[in-house]
Amino acid sequence: MNNETYTEEATLDTGAPRPEVAAGPKPAGAPATSPNHVMETRNMSIYYGDFRAVADVSLGFARNEISALIGPSGCGKSTVLRSLNRMNDLIASARTEGEVHYHGTNIYADGIDPVRVRRTIGMVFQKPNPFPKTIYDNIAWGAKINGYRGSKANIDDLVQEALEGAALWDEVKDKLQESGYSLSGGQQQRLCIARAIATKPDVILMDEPCSALDPIATLRIEELMLELKRDYSIVIVTHNMQQAARVSDKTAFFNVKLNETGMRTGRLVEYSPTEQLFTSPNEKDTEDYITGRFG
Amino acid sequence: MTDTRDTNTHFHQELEELERKVLSMVDRAEQMVEMAVQAVTSDDTDLAARVIELDNAIDQTYMEVHQDWTALMARNQPLGSDLRKMTIFIQLNVLFERMGDQCVNIAKIAQFNKGLPRVQRICEQIREMGDLVRPMIRTAIEAYVRGDVDEARLLPAMDQPVDRLNANMYKETVAVGANPQLLEWATKMLMVSRALERIGDQAVDFGEQTAYLITGERAEFDEDGMAWSTDGNDES
Repeated sequence: MNNETYTEEATLDTGAPRPEVAAGPKPAGAPATSPNHVMETRNMSIYYGDFRAVADVSLGFARNEISALIGPSGCGKSTVLRSLNRMNDLIASARTEGEVHYHGTNIYADGIDPVRVRRTIGMVFQKPNPFPKTIYDNIAWGAKINGYRGSKANIDDLVQEALEGAALWDEVKDKLQESGYSLSGGQQQRLCIARAIATKPDVILMDEPCSALDPIATLRIEELMLELKRDYSIVIVTHNMQQAARVSDKTAFFNVKLNETGMRTGRLVEYSPTEQLFTSPNEKDTEDYITGRFG
Repeated sequence: MTDTRDTNTHFHQELEELERKVLSMVDRAEQMVEMAVQAVTSDDTDLAARVIELDNAIDQTYMEVHQDWTALMARNQPLGSDLRKMTIFIQLNVLFERMGDQCVNIAKIAQFNKGLPRVQRICEQIREMGDLVRPMIRTAIEAYVRGDVDEARLLPAMDQPVDRLNANMYKETVAVGANPQLLEWATKMLMVSRALERIGDQAVDFGEQTAYLITGERAEFDEDGMAWSTDGNDES
C-alpha cells in the first residue's frame, strides 16, 4: 500500500446534493428540474466561434439509467457530452447557449466554477488515460486533488471501493504499487472508470469508452456499466449502435442538418426508449440511419 | 434527410433474396390449396401425389430460410424496419411451411378416400371453402407486397364465412347417416374442412405480421379487422 500519510478526519460526502456545483447562485426563474432527472439540457446550442455545431438540444438524463447518444460523425453528440461537465470550456472558441441543469442548478450560471464541475462529473474517454502513477495513486491522487483529506486507512478503503466498483480490484489488489500503464487496455479503461467514481459522482460521462478495446474487454466494460447504473446515471457516446442497444435505457439520435447557408449543424432528431428507437423509431431520419440508409 | 443513400447495400440485397424465398413458399402454398381441394373433391390421387411432391419443395425452402436467416442475423445485427422484417420472416417461414403441411393432410385424405362413397353437397362445401381461402392468401400476399395495412385488415372479415362453413361441416357429417363407409369418408372430409379453416387463420396471421412490419405495433386483428387488441390476448 501507499506510504503517504493523509490528514485525519475528512470523509467523502456520499450524500446529495453535490456541494461543489450547488455552491453557485441559482439563476432566477430557472424551472424546476424533473425529479427523475439528474441532468437536463434546455435549448442548448454550442458554438465554435460563429459556427453553430449543435442547436436547441433539450434532453433529460434520469437517475439510474444509461442514456446513449448516437449519430453520424459531425452530428455533435460528443460536443453535447462534453457540454455536460463544461469540458468544452477548455476550447477557447467554444460557447454554450441555453442551460444545463445538474440537480436543478444551471452549471453554466455565473459563479459556477467549471473546474469543480469537471471534478464532480467525471468523464471516461475513448483511449484510456491513466495518470503516469501507480494504480493506487491513480485513485488516491484524483481523490486528493478533489479535496479529499481522509486518513491513510480511509484512502485505502476509498481505493479498494473504487476498484471494486470498477470490477478491477481482484485483478490488481496484489500490485497496487505498479504503474497504471502496466495494465491491459481494458484494465486501464476500468482504472479510469474507478478514478471517475472515486469522486462519488452521480453522473458518469463516457465518450466512446470501448472504441480502443477488443470485444472481450468491451463486453466487460458494458457489463460494468450495467452494474454501475445501480448507483449512477451514465451518459455514453458511441458509434456502435449495437452497443447502445445492449446497454442503454434511452437513446438520443443526432443528425446533421444543412441550413440555408450550407452550414452543417447537429440536431437532436429523436430521444426514445432504446427498445423503441431500435425497433420502431418515430422519425424517418432515425430509421434511415439505423438501417444504413443514410445520405 | 432528403438525399438518402443505402450504405448497407449488401445486407439489403441478401434481405431481398430472403424475402423472395419466403414469398415463394406462400405462392406455392396458394397453388397447393387449389390442387389439394381439387384432388380431394374429385378423387384425383395423381393430383394429390403432386401436392405432396410440391410440399417437399416448401420444406426445402423452409430449411434454407432458416439457414439464411441465422447467417444474416449473425453477420448483421439489423435494426428498425430491417429488424421487424427479419422478425416476421422467421414467423412467416413457420406459417407457410404449416400451410403446406395442411395441404399435404388434404392430399393424403384424397388418397385415403379414393373409391369410398361420397356426398356431393359436402364436396361442394369443401370447394366453396377452397374458393374462399385462396383469395385470402392472395390478399395477404398483396397486402404485404404493397405494404397496405388496410388491405391486411380485410382478412378477418374474409375468414368469417370460412369459419361458418367449417362449423356447419359437423352437421353435414352427422347428417350422412349410419353407412360406415360413407361415415368414414365424411369424417375425413371434416378433417379437410378443419385444414382449410386453419389455412384461413394462417392467412389472417400473415396479415397481422404485415401490419406489424408496417406499423411497428405488435397486435392481433379483432373479428372485424378494424380494431386492434393490444394486450397480447387472442380475442378472435
